[in-house]
Amino acid sequence: MTAPDPLPPPDRRSLLRAAGASLALAAAAGCDDPQEFGAPLHARPRGVSADSASYATVLDLDGLGRGVLARTLGGHAIKLEGNPRHPASLGATDVFLESAVLALHDPARSRHLRRQGRALRDAAEFETWLAAQQAALDLRGGEGLRLLTGPVASPTTRRLIAALLARWPAARWHVQAPMEDPAAAAGAMLAFGRPVVALPALSRATCVLALGADPLGPGPAQLAQARGWAAARAAGREAGRMPALIVAESTPSLTGAKADRRLTLPPAGIEALGRAVAAAFGLGPAAAHPEAAPIAAALRAAGPGALVLAGRGQPEAVHALAHWLNARLGAPVRLVPDPLAAPAGTLAGLLAQAEAVTHLLILDANPAYDAPAGLDIAGLLRRVPHSLHAGVQVDETALACGWHLPLRHPLECWGDSRAFDGTAALRQPATVPLVEAAIAPDALLARLAGEAADGAAPVQATWRAAWGADFEARWLQALEAGLIADSAPAPLAIAPRADVALPPPAPAARGLVAVFAPDATLWDGRFATEAWLHELPRPLGGVMWGQAVLLAPRDAAALGVADGAVLELTLAGRRLHAPVLVTPGQAPGVVTLPLGGGRQVAGGMPGGIGFDAYSLRPAAAPWVAPGLALRPTGAAQALVGHLPERALAEATPRVRRVAAGEAIPPLPTPRSLYEPWRYPGRAWGMAIDLDTCIGCNACVLACQAENNTPVVGPEEAAMGRTMHWLRVDRVESGPPEDRSVDFQPVPCMHCEKAPCEVVCPVNATVHDAEGLNLMVYPRCIGTRTCSNNCPYKVRRFNWAGYARQAGAVPVRNPAVPLRPRGVIEKCTYCQHRIKAAGEGVAETACQRACPTRAIHFGDINDPDSAVARAKREGRSYALLGELDTRPRTTYLARIGA
Amino acid sequence: MSGFSTRPVSDAPLRRDFGWRFTAAVLASAALTLLLAYAVVALLWRGTALWGTNIPFVWGFDLINYVWWIGIANAASLFAVVLVLRRHGLRSAVNRFAEAAALAAVAAAAIYPILHLGRPWLFYWTVPYPAATQLWPQFRSTLVWDFWGIMSHVVVTFLFWYTGLIPDLATMRDRAAARGRLGLARIYGFFALGWRGSVQHWARHQAAYRMVAAMVLPMLVSAQTIVALEFATTLVPEWHQARLPLQVVATGLPSGLGVVLALAALLRGGLGLGRYIDDADMDLLAKLTAAAALACGYVYAEALLVAWLEDQATRQAMAARAFGAYAGLYWGAALLVVVLPQLLWLKGVRRRARYAVPIGLAAAIGVWLDRFSLVAGGLLRDHLPRTGPLYAPSLPEWTLLAGTVGLFALMLLVFTRFVPVVSMFETRHEESEADAP
Amino acid sequence: MTTHLLAEFEAAEPMVAALRAARAAGWRKLDAHAPFPVPEAAKLLGAHESPVGWIAIAAGLAGAALAYGTQWWLSVHAWPINVGGRPLHALPAFLPATTIVGILWAAAGALLGMLALNRLPRLHHPVFAASQFHRASEDRFFLSLELDGPDFDAAAAHRLLAPHRPLSVAALGG
Repeated sequence: MTAPDPLPPPDRRSLLRAAGASLALAAAAGCDDPQEFGAPLHARPRGVSADSASYATVLDLDGLGRGVLARTLGGHAIKLEGNPRHPASLGATDVFLESAVLALHDPARSRHLRRQGRALRDAAEFETWLAAQQAALDLRGGEGLRLLTGPVASPTTRRLIAALLARWPAARWHVQAPMEDPAAAAGAMLAFGRPVVALPALSRATCVLALGADPLGPGPAQLAQARGWAAARAAGREAGRMPALIVAESTPSLTGAKADRRLTLPPAGIEALGRAVAAAFGLGPAAAHPEAAPIAAALRAAGPGALVLAGRGQPEAVHALAHWLNARLGAPVRLVPDPLAAPAGTLAGLLAQAEAVTHLLILDANPAYDAPAGLDIAGLLRRVPHSLHAGVQVDETALACGWHLPLRHPLECWGDSRAFDGTAALRQPATVPLVEAAIAPDALLARLAGEAADGAAPVQATWRAAWGADFEARWLQALEAGLIADSAPAPLAIAPRADVALPPPAPAARGLVAVFAPDATLWDGRFATEAWLHELPRPLGGVMWGQAVLLAPRDAAALGVADGAVLELTLAGRRLHAPVLVTPGQAPGVVTLPLGGGRQVAGGMPGGIGFDAYSLRPAAAPWVAPGLALRPTGAAQALVGHLPERALAEATPRVRRVAAGEAIPPLPTPRSLYEPWRYPGRAWGMAIDLDTCIGCNACVLACQAENNTPVVGPEEAAMGRTMHWLRVDRVESGPPEDRSVDFQPVPCMHCEKAPCEVVCPVNATVHDAEGLNLMVYPRCIGTRTCSNNCPYKVRRFNWAGYARQAGAVPVRNPAVPLRPRGVIEKCTYCQHRIKAAGEGVAETACQRACPTRAIHFGDINDPDSAVARAKREGRSYALLGELDTRPRTTYLARIGA
Repeated sequence: MSGFSTRPVSDAPLRRDFGWRFTAAVLASAALTLLLAYAVVALLWRGTALWGTNIPFVWGFDLINYVWWIGIANAASLFAVVLVLRRHGLRSAVNRFAEAAALAAVAAAAIYPILHLGRPWLFYWTVPYPAATQLWPQFRSTLVWDFWGIMSHVVVTFLFWYTGLIPDLATMRDRAAARGRLGLARIYGFFALGWRGSVQHWARHQAAYRMVAAMVLPMLVSAQTIVALEFATTLVPEWHQARLPLQVVATGLPSGLGVVLALAALLRGGLGLGRYIDDADMDLLAKLTAAAALACGYVYAEALLVAWLEDQATRQAMAARAFGAYAGLYWGAALLVVVLPQLLWLKGVRRRARYAVPIGLAAAIGVWLDRFSLVAGGLLRDHLPRTGPLYAPSLPEWTLLAGTVGLFALMLLVFTRFVPVVSMFETRHEESEADAP
Repeated sequence: MTTHLLAEFEAAEPMVAALRAARAAGWRKLDAHAPFPVPEAAKLLGAHESPVGWIAIAAGLAGAALAYGTQWWLSVHAWPINVGGRPLHALPAFLPATTIVGILWAAAGALLGMLALNRLPRLHHPVFAASQFHRASEDRFFLSLELDGPDFDAAAAHRLLAPHRPLSVAALGG
């Protein structure tokens, strides 16, 4: 039997010409019951139309919530910003949160009920089928029913699943969590004998040893951890004693880029280092590692400021010894129950009893795509007589199941969520429902559990039970705050066993080691439907609209391959073709395979962007698998966005590094024959702290979402025509084996002596009285001379009418005009936000998004403003200051050698 | 003494049949011109996305071809002007079609600054006219300078060509009338403005002709300089050089002279004008091309030497241009513009059209490579590392180039069809002086 | 009635000689036509080259002044705006356009001045009536004598011309 007829295969340009249903359709749907909407949190900003509002809600990544404020206009969510009160956001966002409004408005979202992959207009047949199956299951007590979900921490969802299992006691719940690390749970079991997670307080850590851990990298806790790390840096700068971050990793990460000391080790080498450090503190058998002694000394010296983190890919022994070391050192770690721990089986467990399955309900999971190699999901779905998939997108699983039900986007739903630390928060609809046929996931479960399923009823039932008489007051309070106060579990006062028995290290394997990694922009593949994320250069390597396996320069030389060469990867008899990116800082013998690519059915995106590393991923060893073989195929593939690094021998390095307390001497101001322009009122300026910038790209996407910056598509991106107003440059220095990486966000510098303005023939770019370098789109005739004369190359040109072409990104901020074909555009310092703020504090979108608050913006004429204070710091400097363009955007040097 | 007849020259445009070769040439160049029309319509319809340009290579064939055509126009008119001002013997033979070539080249060039715009239909916003927006051009911009430059270039080149043409149009009027082709005579007569050869008119005409020629000279230098200033006033290290105007003017010379040389050879053969464009003329033209090439050699060497002595950024920028991704263009230009034309010093080479003409055309191609190297290769090393891939021209850009070559050829063919290709009055003047006892 | 006599010569020299003789004889209303410039004849007829130059220079200066003035007025007074922190009155940046517009006006002034001084365009003129005059643009030289007064009648003209052996003498009506 062949697979059900999939969606028509999108042609190459379909992402830009995808189905035209956009805001018009959304507006047509905008007549829903106002009761469905939550209460606005903030007063309407001045200067914005009357129906603007902000809703506090929560979005999940891997089942863990991050609080956001959704700004809406006319009932439509326009932009998400972090909820400052939520512990997993702290006011910041990451690239996944920023792209949620795009996913919400995606014209290619699932809009229809489907049977065998074919869209149905009429729900009657489905209702009949569902009623029949419920009746059948009732008769058998749920025998043969399996529920497969993604990771779930939401109290309501879990309550409903429990209720469903109560109705059908013989049914079983399984969780498919491709990003989960079983070794972390096993390590906690080893150390504590129960499933706990350790929450590090990086703000209080003065010496951090990361054993393959990437606390600053993307993930559900990134925003909180990055903020904590930045706070520790700030305190260190204040005190003149910088905290130390020692990172041992096999593939470059954001944390590695910010490390004070970075060790490039294969996974087994990291384990050996961890065991040696633990041995130095008396845990486990004596083990030697050349780096262990100084690291152990540093940890010991830091005392209660020391912190050891074990990451993905490390065996349970390393996780256990990290727990043990933290306890021993008195590290700033809080132990809490794992919010994701659930009485559920795994996907492998589901397949083990595949014969018993008669009914399969798949909720918000895509096992047909992201199951490990060797698990025959396709066979299971073919065999199971009754399968129902519910999802926001029509994905691989939706087409393989008997029935598919469109789900509402979380921004359209009621619900709740728990953050990585267990803090609960309520989810409320922040927009009119854009898909009529869609149903909220909790509503589906409530219906199956036989409960009231309308609107907020399921989530209210959960919290009514928890709060009792207090419900009404606390409910409103929780909605307004965007979180439920004091809902985080109390820290567990437990200590690891003194006699942790570390299992012996695995025998050394031959051949190359395959390291699987979440993709920096596609994550586990669920974001492969988002054009913004495809076109976002990955922080390391810069590749967009595709993926590459990472190979150490030495291994690449041995194979005789260069960037873009397509390799055949063979692991346990399975083969995969993928282009290579030669990556300095990659451990020799280690090949990193990003997951999340190669989706065949990815909404409006063309299929097959990147490659499907899941097809090689062993179920038993999901993160590190030895025995990989590589063979060059002779083919090559252009890596869009990747440029061979070009280290310039610069007179003054573009990213400066200073010692703590050291000041950069100011450049002499060249004398001029002419009177300078004065800015007596407000003078806008920006200071970007390169010490705390972690290169996470949140600012880039925040800017894109805020300013309607268009997506140009893979062909145009390959030509170098991406439109991001703000880019984060990766600046590499040092030898290939010990490469040091800096991140430098580069927006428009708003130079007081703007070279771009002088060469414009038509006054299309001029200064205003507050020092903004304005771009007057209607005046621009498109000579592009300004770009030639911009030494920072921050100007972007609309080679085509990207913003208005068919299939252009359907979400638009009405406060920012769309730019027509043939004009230049660039960063405006969020001019519309300045105007909207009036006399209040203006915040740019990039500044708002930054998890480490590395971007300061404000009036430099006000000596008390944060930006003025930042610019007074000794480590403040202007990029290319020697050109005397007097940029208003300046940088704060990185502390370190 | 009725010996100094310029009949073959004046009779050429009056011929009813130019032969199949001419027809074929017209058809070919008209086809290319139609291609240009297609390319222009496609560009207006689809926008500059059709090109291979990006950030940072925002300029591609638009500016490369613009600067190249301007260089040809410049060198050709410079050559004609110098002949007129020095009252050189060669002038009667070649200055008319040198002027015509300049005019055709400048017309081909003038298309590019308009088409290069993101919104070409708004090009007139660079003109200071009282617009409803109450906004004016930004006069500090080199592009506004260039607007005046290219406009003056077109107008002054045309004036120069036309001033010299008035008496010859009168001859055509009279020859056409004598052959009974009164309609044609009327058209020529209209453009001859009633010229009747009054010696007083002649005196003032000569004064005006030399005056316009004298104006062309600084105009050429300043127009080409302004084109160079579009690059030199930017902060791009390889462009931000005081030598750039000189370099652009100087390297333009071999291309213009090469094109004139090729045209002279074509006219000799094609129109049987060997008597008017004789071997000595060809010889001199070839030597001038070789000398201009030598001057370019100096400019190239000086650029390398000075860059070596300059600051780090400039040195790296020069190195990137000469040895980076576009190195082939740079050295190809050096070979075709500087080295190859040196062969023209050999009598055996320059006396044979089959050698001299390809060398002249190769010099023109070499200068095109030089312009490519400047516009694209000059950007290889900017102040910050490059953020985009390299520039490579797309098919629509090549179409546009082929189209302007067609336009250039068509204009010259129309010129040979309707206008005397050699300055008749000057030829007569010369021959009378030669005949004088 | 005959108002002009038009004498045709084969070469410039006899034409110039006849012209010189006519001037000596006191003829005032003379003109000579040649297929190329004959400066000697022009001098005898009192035509000067310099006015063309002066007109061109004046036009050039006027054009330059207008160009500079326009840039200054529009940048400093009509639309003062901060462009790249540069002064409103950006003298060096205004000079290239000033120069080039000056040159443009000078070149146009030279051509237009020449035409004005020559009273051209004038598409109809009595001399065109002469049957052989079309060769004035090719290989013949003509002397035109206007008959005005008793001492300057046709007979006197023929007497004057005879020694210079014109190829023909045509009588033109007014």
